[in-house]
Amino acid sequence: MSSIMNKPDTLLWDQQRNKIVSKKGGWFVGDGVYCHGYDMMDELVGKVSYMQVVMLNVTGKLPARHVADWFEAAHICLSWPDSRIWCNHIGALGGTMRASALASTVAGVLATDSRAYGVKPLKEGVVFIQSAVAALESGLSVEEIVLNECEKHGGKPYIMGYARPIAKGDERVPTMELVAKELGFPVGEHLKLAYEIDRELLARFNEGMNINGYMSAFLSDQHFTSEEVYRICTMLVASGVSACYVDMRDRPAETFLPLRCDDIDYQGKPHRTL
Amino acid sequence: MEVRKHQKVTSRNAVFADKITTRIWQERPSESNPYIAAGNCCHGYDLIELMQQKSYVDMFYLLFRGNLPSSDERQLLEQLMVGFINPGPRHPATRAAMNAGVGKSDPQNILPISLTIMGGEHLGAGAVEGAMRFMRKHRKENPADTAESMLTERVEQRPKEGDWHIAPGFGSHFGGVDLMPSKLAAVLAKLPGSGSMLDWGTRFSSALNKEGMGWLTVGVAAAVFADLGFHPRYGAGLFQLLSAPGLLAHGMEQANKPITAMPFLSDKAYVIDYE
Repeated sequence: MSSIMNKPDTLLWDQQRNKIVSKKGGWFVGDGVYCHGYDMMDELVGKVSYMQVVMLNVTGKLPARHVADWFEAAHICLSWPDSRIWCNHIGALGGTMRASALASTVAGVLATDSRAYGVKPLKEGVVFIQSAVAALESGLSVEEIVLNECEKHGGKPYIMGYARPIAKGDERVPTMELVAKELGFPVGEHLKLAYEIDRELLARFNEGMNINGYMSAFLSDQHFTSEEVYRICTMLVASGVSACYVDMRDRPAETFLPLRCDDIDYQGKPHRTL
Repeated sequence: MEVRKHQKVTSRNAVFADKITTRIWQERPSESNPYIAAGNCCHGYDLIELMQQKSYVDMFYLLFRGNLPSSDERQLLEQLMVGFINPGPRHPATRAAMNAGVGKSDPQNILPISLTIMGGEHLGAGAVEGAMRFMRKHRKENPADTAESMLTERVEQRPKEGDWHIAPGFGSHFGGVDLMPSKLAAVLAKLPGSGSMLDWGTRFSSALNKEGMGWLTVGVAAAVFADLGFHPRYGAGLFQLLSAPGLLAHGMEQANKPITAMPFLSDKAYVIDYE
C-alpha cells in the first residue's frame, strides 16, 4: 500500500466545507445583489436586456447589446409552436396530462440535450467550423475539408450544421442573415468558410447549410466557444414548448393525439402462460 | 457583399411510421370502448398472472430483457437493487431531492429534479454506459496489465486537484478508495449469477488500489448490468431507476419540515471572489 492509500489528501474538500466561494455573485441581505461585479439593482435591471444578463452569467462578460439582440432573435427563430416537433410534443403531452406548465416546459427543454436535434448539436457545429478554419489555415482546400468530413460518414454529407432531416434548405438561415445585417455584423472568417462549404455541398450533394451551421459559424466569428454557445442556448426551445403545453392544457384531458388500443402495433411475443 | 442564393426549402418526404410499434406491451381493447384496455400483456405474459405469481424483480427483468430471469439472474439483480437503492444523503442528487423537498417544490417534481441531477457524469447515470463499454472493450485483457498500462500511459491526465477517474467506473473518491462499492461488489461477485464483467472489474479495481483508486459505485452497477446482458445504452436509465427510491425518500423526509430545516449559509460563509 502506498501513502495515497493510507492517508488520502482531502484538503480540497476540507477547504470547501460550510462555505461557498462564488465566482459569479450573490445576495447580501441589506447590502445588495451582485453579478459579476455589477450591482444588479442599480446597474443591470432595466438598463440591459435579459439576454445580456444570460450571456453575462454564462461568459462572465457583459456583451454588447447588439450581440445579445442577435441571440434573442435566434431564440425566436429556433422555437416554433408546432407540437409535432419532438421537444414541443413533450410539452403538449404535459398539457394533456395536466402536468404543470413549468414541469412540462422543463421536460421539453431537457429533450433538446439530444444527439439528433436541439441545443446539444450546436456544440458539435461550433467545433466543426472552428476546426475547419484551422484546417483551411493549415493549407487544406475547402474541397478537401468537405471530403475528409464526408469520409468519416461513408462518403455521405453528414456534417454537423449542413443538410437537415425532414426538409432540404433552411428558411431560418436567410432570416438570421438579415438580422445580422441589420445589427451591423460583418461576415467573418468562419462564416465565409461556412458559405464555401455550403457551396461545395450544394454542388456535390445538393445539400446546404442549416441554421446550426450558420449559427456556429456566426458565433465563432464572435469568438464564442462551443461550450459557451451551448450554455447560452439552454432555454432555446422553451417558448415553443410552453406554447404547445398551453394549447393542450386548455382542452379536455388526453385529447392530444389520443390512441386507441389498436393504434399501437404490438410486434412482440404472442400470449404465453407462466 | 456577394448575394447568396439560398436553397429552396422543400420536404424530403421522409417516410415516418404510421403507428407506434412495441415488442414490450400489448393492450387488448374492451369490446365497448377501443380506448379502454380489457387486458395487458408484457412480452406475452398476462399482467394479472404476473402480479399474482411473480416478484417485482422478475417483472423488472422481463420488462427490459423480454424473458423472465433465471433464479441466479433474479438473485443478482435483486441484491444489486437493494445495494443501490439509496445514494445516501450526501450524494448531490439526493441533496437536490432534499432541497426540492424543504423548498416546498411540488412533490411530483422531487423525483424528476433529483433524477436529472443523477444523470451527471460524475458518479451518476451519465457514467454508466461508458463504464459498461470500457469493461466490454477490455474484458479479454488481464485486468492487472490493463491497470498498469493505464496508470503509466495516463499519468499526465491525473488532474492537479480533485478526483481522478482513470477509466469510466473506476477512480478515487474524495481523494481515496471508495469502500462501499468494493464491499457491494464483493457480495455480488460471490453470487452464482455474477459473471465475467464483475470479476474483471474487481481485479482491475484491486490493481488500482495502490494508487488510491478502485471501484466507483457506477462501475459496480455497470458491471452487473453487463453481466445480466443489458445493452450499455440502458445503463444510465437503469442506474436512475435503482437509485430513485432513496432519492424520493430523502426528498419527502424534508418536504414536511420547515424551510429552515436545512442549512442556508450565512453571509459570512458566502464569499464572492471573481478571480
